[in-house]
Amino acid sequence: MPASAAWARPEDLVESLSSLDNTARLKALRDVKNQIIGNKTKKLSYIKLGAVPRVVEILASDTEIPLLVQSAAAVGSFACGIDAGVKAVLDSGVLPHLLKMLQNGDNKVVEACARSLKMIFHSPLAPKSDMFEGHRMELILELLNNGSENVAEVAASVLARCCETLEHQQALADAGGLRSLVSLLAGSVKKQEAALDALAALTKHNQQLSAILIMMDQGAALSLIIRLIRDKSPRMRLLACMCLAHIGKACPAGYGQEDEVRINMLGILMKLLDEPGQVGEDAPGVLADLVTNNEELQKIAQKENAVEKLADILHRDTLPAKQLEGVLLALAELCSRLEESRRQLLDSQVEAPIVAAFGHPCEGVKVAACSCVKSLSRSVKNLRTALTGERLVIPLLQLLSDPSSAVQVQAIAAVGNIVLDFTLQKTVVMQSSGIDQLVHFAQSMDPILRRNAVLALKNLLYMADSVVKGRVVNELTVSTLCELIRDSEEDVQEQAISLVRNLAYGDPDCIDYVFAHGDLLLQAVEQQLSVSLRPEISMQALYVINNVAAGNERHKDAVMDLVAPHKALSNTSGFLLNRYLQDMINPQLRVVAVWCIINLTYPGGTGTSSRVTRLKNAGVESLLQKMADDPCLDVKDRVKTALEHFSTAVTLVATTSGQ
Amino acid sequence: MRVCVIYPKSSSKKVITKEEWEKKLSEVKIRKEDMNKLVMNFLVTEGYVEAAEKFQMESGTQPDIDLGTITDRMAVRKAVQCGQVEDAIEKVNDLNPEILDTNPQLFFHLQQQRLIELIRSGQVEEALEFAQEELAPRGEENHAFLEELERTVALLAFEDTANCPVGELLDISQRQKTASELNAAILTSQSHEKDPKLPSLLKMLIWAQNQLDEKASYPRINDLVNATLEEPVT
Repeated sequence: MPASAAWARPEDLVESLSSLDNTARLKALRDVKNQIIGNKTKKLSYIKLGAVPRVVEILASDTEIPLLVQSAAAVGSFACGIDAGVKAVLDSGVLPHLLKMLQNGDNKVVEACARSLKMIFHSPLAPKSDMFEGHRMELILELLNNGSENVAEVAASVLARCCETLEHQQALADAGGLRSLVSLLAGSVKKQEAALDALAALTKHNQQLSAILIMMDQGAALSLIIRLIRDKSPRMRLLACMCLAHIGKACPAGYGQEDEVRINMLGILMKLLDEPGQVGEDAPGVLADLVTNNEELQKIAQKENAVEKLADILHRDTLPAKQLEGVLLALAELCSRLEESRRQLLDSQVEAPIVAAFGHPCEGVKVAACSCVKSLSRSVKNLRTALTGERLVIPLLQLLSDPSSAVQVQAIAAVGNIVLDFTLQKTVVMQSSGIDQLVHFAQSMDPILRRNAVLALKNLLYMADSVVKGRVVNELTVSTLCELIRDSEEDVQEQAISLVRNLAYGDPDCIDYVFAHGDLLLQAVEQQLSVSLRPEISMQALYVINNVAAGNERHKDAVMDLVAPHKALSNTSGFLLNRYLQDMINPQLRVVAVWCIINLTYPGGTGTSSRVTRLKNAGVESLLQKMADDPCLDVKDRVKTALEHFSTAVTLVATTSGQ
Repeated sequence: MRVCVIYPKSSSKKVITKEEWEKKLSEVKIRKEDMNKLVMNFLVTEGYVEAAEKFQMESGTQPDIDLGTITDRMAVRKAVQCGQVEDAIEKVNDLNPEILDTNPQLFFHLQQQRLIELIRSGQVEEALEFAQEELAPRGEENHAFLEELERTVALLAFEDTANCPVGELLDISQRQKTASELNAAILTSQSHEKDPKLPSLLKMLIWAQNQLDEKASYPRINDLVNATLEEPVT
């Protein structure tokens, strides 16, 4: 067969890789290399035949330049584009040999080895942290100053792929990486692109390094990057935008003309969405970073039809995971605040692709799909009309049992939004194993998971009927709920108390659930009310008190015993609500505290007059009289009502005693 | 009393005489070094390595790329033009293995060219085997490749391949197409633009003249090679 006439059978070729004859070994090596480059099928079959360890062995023990160059190139190609290849070369222990060869005197060897590293580290399987051991990082950094065009470029690409954590970023910066990379920005196109790639990795979520880059050379480095967003090369435009988006996200203080630059970037990125290959795949993720927390920009994007454009991409047949993730994230950001964008997205029939993304093998895609649903479900209208189907809710609930906690966190957050207020979704959750799972996560060790789960349960209870409430209390149990109210994390405390607030909202049957275990639950809430310094927590706790106080006589008396116990009556400061009636910083707290009084003194109850007397003794009436001219109108109005209750009760008492 | 004069549309164009035009042109300064760089860029991009070396010596213009790489690139291009595709692949892999490993379309086109060369030389069985072994897996990965593969294999179905519906694949221009694609990929990998700048400047000249035609009558250049200024049409 002429196509491989020059080549022996693959088995023989692999055998020749270990030939004792240098010429034969070199020939076999070149043949294998030339067969596998660009050809995944061949890579896999040579991996199966055990070629990789033999190739690595040449790199480890030979000294002839051509052998070293060819073996490094073959290693790089095995690692290029297929995970099995990356795994095979790493399993053969190639890393130390490649790194050692970076110090070889021959630049051809250095280039081939650096390129191999670039291929290996392109894969998520590569052990990024290994590159930060010993002096490995310095070895790569030195290559940035290598006279050869290719070597410097490839070294910068390796840095871009290795740098993943805050520690990595710091180590690189400490070794002078930032400065060397910025110098590369003055080089050829390929060097500039690789430098931007690495700078983007260094500035991601790193406020300190972003700030340094902004200030470097009196802003000259930054201006250069800003210029590059208009470069001829699409990849350069993308990487410059990525770098600036990372800086902007990490450094809220920003830089001069940032708003203008951002608007330009938005237009550029929108066009890059249509680029073929890697650039088009990465563009949506950068767009997502750019518009995060920037409502103005989100509005502009909406006017430019960004949502429709991204939705169109979502409808394509097959999308690479990274692109799909980026598109979903960008949509999640664009729909996080603007109702108009949410409507546009729902009009684009995206439910099917989003549901499909729930089942994607890739963690990032699932997280992004949940974020998207979370954003869409912030709209009450959407909850009523669009996001109702079991088709969406059931697969979403299945993600609650996903092995990845990142997926769980986002899934719970999305569930939390969609169960709010509307019976249809609540029913689906009730009928599936949703509650069990949420209850399970509410006891997770991960605080974010715990918070999101409690939040979801809280939303589930919002305006829910007595059946839903009963089930949640039974499955979660009062004692767990008390623990959550006393959780080590304030965020969890707040959500747990807020859950009790929703539980206690409504008719007396519902309030009875609060007393499922005597007044344990109420005591836990009261405890937080006494000690918490966080207004959000106090607020939720006051609402609990208020909702219970709105119940029947038994409920009101329970509240009285809690907030104004008989034994503390001698001391007015012992009355729990007084502190909040006098909180001049938070008028909202005053409003709810007065509401509690109003509910406790509501005329007509058999115990009203006794409660009024107790409150009077606690000094509440005189406090309220002082609040008659409260600067907050809301407070003022409520105080008026409360004081009326006090005088009505007096009249009633007088009438009764007069008879 | 006001007089209103309406000119016919054609005469509303401003007329610039040849003398005025030449005077204006003589005021424009072009630096010799810039011209030399444009010429060097043309020689380098088009691969005239010996001319570039000579020009470097005679004019002192530095090429924007290592001239040694041009020789390698030209050798690759020439190999494809001569139908020695395998040889070209080996050479480009020595130059930079990433080029074919990260560019599936280019890789496919080179393999397709290899298939075409096998068919051209009448090695039917070998061609079929090669299509099966090397190209079919690529077609499975990419639908567009599959269509191109089917079109290429169709060559085998015709007695008179030169005049069959897919005969153009055997044409020398197909080799040129593949060679240019490979050449462009190598240039890109070397941070060099794949097209020389001079043709773009001439394109710009033609475009600018077309724009100006709507507003003025002036000495146009119609003959690019001689750059003769024509008399303005009035």
